Amino acid sequence: MSETSSAATAAPEVELDWSIESEGGSVVLPPSAYVRPRRNHVRRNLEIIILAGPAILLFLMFVIAPVIVALYYSFYKWKGFGPTNADNFVGLDNYKWTLTNPEFWGAVGHNGIIMVLSLVMQGPLAILVALLLNQKMRGRSLIRVLIFVPYVISEAIVGIGMFLMLQDEGALNKLLGLHVGWLSNPKVAMWTLMFILTWKYLGFAIILMLAGLQGIPEELSEAAAVDGATFWQIQWHIMLPLLKPTIKVWGFLSIIGAMQLFDLVYVIWGQYIATTAGVSTMAWFMAANGRLSGQLGRGSAIAIIVFILSLVVAMIYQRWVLNRDTEGALTEKEED
Amino acid sequence: MNRMAKVSVVAVACAASLALASCGSSNPGSTGSGAAAPTTGGAATSSGEQVTMELWHNGTGEKGPAVFEKAVSDFEAAHSNVKINITIVQNEDFDGKLQTAMAGGTTPDIFLQRGGGKLNDQVKADQVMDITSLIDPQVKSEIGGNWALETLDSKIYAVPMSLQPEGFWYSGNLFKDAGVDAKSITDMTSLSAAVDKLKASSKSAISLGGKDAWPAAHWFYQFALRQCSKDVIQGLVGAQNFDDPCWLAALQSLADFAKTEPFNSGFLTTAAQQGAGSSAGMVANYQAAMELMGAWEVGVIGGLTPDKKNLPDLGFFPFPKVDGGKGDQAAMMAGADAYSCSIKAPKECADFLNFLGAKAQQEGFSEAFSQIPANSTASGKVTDPALKAAADALAKSPYTVLWIDSALGQDTGNAVNAAVVALLAGSADPAAALAQMQKAF
Repeated sequence: MSETSSAATAAPEVELDWSIESEGGSVVLPPSAYVRPRRNHVRRNLEIIILAGPAILLFLMFVIAPVIVALYYSFYKWKGFGPTNADNFVGLDNYKWTLTNPEFWGAVGHNGIIMVLSLVMQGPLAILVALLLNQKMRGRSLIRVLIFVPYVISEAIVGIGMFLMLQDEGALNKLLGLHVGWLSNPKVAMWTLMFILTWKYLGFAIILMLAGLQGIPEELSEAAAVDGATFWQIQWHIMLPLLKPTIKVWGFLSIIGAMQLFDLVYVIWGQYIATTAGVSTMAWFMAANGRLSGQLGRGSAIAIIVFILSLVVAMIYQRWVLNRDTEGALTEKEED
Repeated sequence: MNRMAKVSVVAVACAASLALASCGSSNPGSTGSGAAAPTTGGAATSSGEQVTMELWHNGTGEKGPAVFEKAVSDFEAAHSNVKINITIVQNEDFDGKLQTAMAGGTTPDIFLQRGGGKLNDQVKADQVMDITSLIDPQVKSEIGGNWALETLDSKIYAVPMSLQPEGFWYSGNLFKDAGVDAKSITDMTSLSAAVDKLKASSKSAISLGGKDAWPAAHWFYQFALRQCSKDVIQGLVGAQNFDDPCWLAALQSLADFAKTEPFNSGFLTTAAQQGAGSSAGMVANYQAAMELMGAWEVGVIGGLTPDKKNLPDLGFFPFPKVDGGKGDQAAMMAGADAYSCSIKAPKECADFLNFLGAKAQQEGFSEAFSQIPANSTASGKVTDPALKAAADALAKSPYTVLWIDSALGQDTGNAVNAAVVALLAGSADPAAALAQMQKAF
């Protein structure tokens, strides 16, 4: 564990002792040598329970418990109602069905493609726009708002709108006089999805990058300018390296988003044709083959597999990318 | 099967304590709380005791909610001790919500029943009331042979409201403009000839809602109905396989027909019933000349025309013959909308189903939804000429087969539907699609 994090956990303790000394150490209630540590202890525990209790309870109820329940159902051929018993216990069959299903691996592959393309397409574009928007210029706030608007619109609304516009007989083809199967042609559909995703989430990336840029002290670029660095040199050698932690956090969020992608695909392509169109994702596969097929046991197994896959990806990123130098952005690197 | 479009959900909670007892009682299900008090609204309720029941239906749109409200208030007027709370659930959301309610032990007392494999699953999970002995003798004789769709192991589990035979629903105007006579379409050759003429008139010949998969799958069902003998197609649920060569032949027939590009462009991403761009909407707005669909189509198209009235020039003709097919070439495929009682519902629930099955209500429902009533004495209310033609064709059908996805149940049914979509998308040939379907059992 890094020094910062251990210091952070130690901090409240120190503060707590101080406050108790200063208040409790008065004349009103002369605390005995034995009582004081115990009271402190009790009070600290009470504070932890009161402050963290509700969150932990909610986390247990709505995250941990469903995972355990899903694990339980994943061993049954369960249709969503009726008992689970020896008759419908199927052991690892649901897992076998999923892991030997080429459509599932197709969906995993699509998630991978979306993950990589999101990083490649949105990252550089977002950084570029953020660097420009970080300059003082006219209409800056308006541009910022406009760029952020798609991110605010609900996915379902974006999905329905895009679905209507991009149909074969839809507005886009009519407008361009083309006849492209934007949604139905498997060679095109993934790019359509990527375009929509980029349009929708670019604003979020830009806002994040802008926030990161604004945390960088102006003195640095001013000093560089005084030393004769050009605009692009300043961006490349000063701003970008200092923006690295933000980029990494955005990358993490983007990867998680790509792994979980469901709503846009489901709204635009529906329950059946995402596989045929080549845009199925793991979460879509789970919904289509779980609840919508009336096989909640199988759906649970898919959910567990997706959970593990996502966890592994998240942990790898956390361990190898995010953790390495989140500190050292504005201060000098100490170890690395 | 699927019918309505607009989302209009009225959330009704279990209000009265009696209702709580009847819809939240203990269920020996897996997640059940086990210790919950046994229901007081159980089958033992005497007629004088106050009873509250929950009703879930999928009748969205303008006329649907009204006809249910009227039925309920009429029933409540005749049974002063009964109160029925109505919840409308959008059609495509219905099965999932019902499933969740059943899992949570809050099954509504009265609910829409789709029959087939879905009914079978519910019966196996002890969720549906056996109403065989509770049916009013008069209703029983009037509905006659139509009970078959709601019967399992000689036990009746639901009262059918409407019959939905399937065939082609076409725009008479567009047919006339293209010089096509619907009566001349009797086999695949004449259908293809009609398609060519219609395509030449720059409209889509046949609209297809491939996005929802089941409309595409219905093409396969119809080819199977023609290709497979009665025993094979009616024995599918028992056999649990697609081994008979007729299934491959049906897929081949569909693939051959699809090669002639009869469907609207972009049919794979066309929805079935939502909005003017849907396959039904295209017929309603004269963008496509016809669609293969169940008899709910009359009402669905009626809801999608600019003036929200039934299409005045709508016509019907049955699925054409397929050369060399082993099935009866006049056989029809059909479904039924029905209503079931929860196994925990009070006995007044069966009274309500009898009430729905009787002539008066069947007439009201037939008018409101533009559907063919299951009770033959109510058929006088069928006035739409297209619907009449469908009812006539159904009357001439030597046997009737339920939609294959409904018959096989949600899971296998969905897999079959998805395989047909893959075939039409060109990502699977007939053999591969068959293998994909076979794997679903």
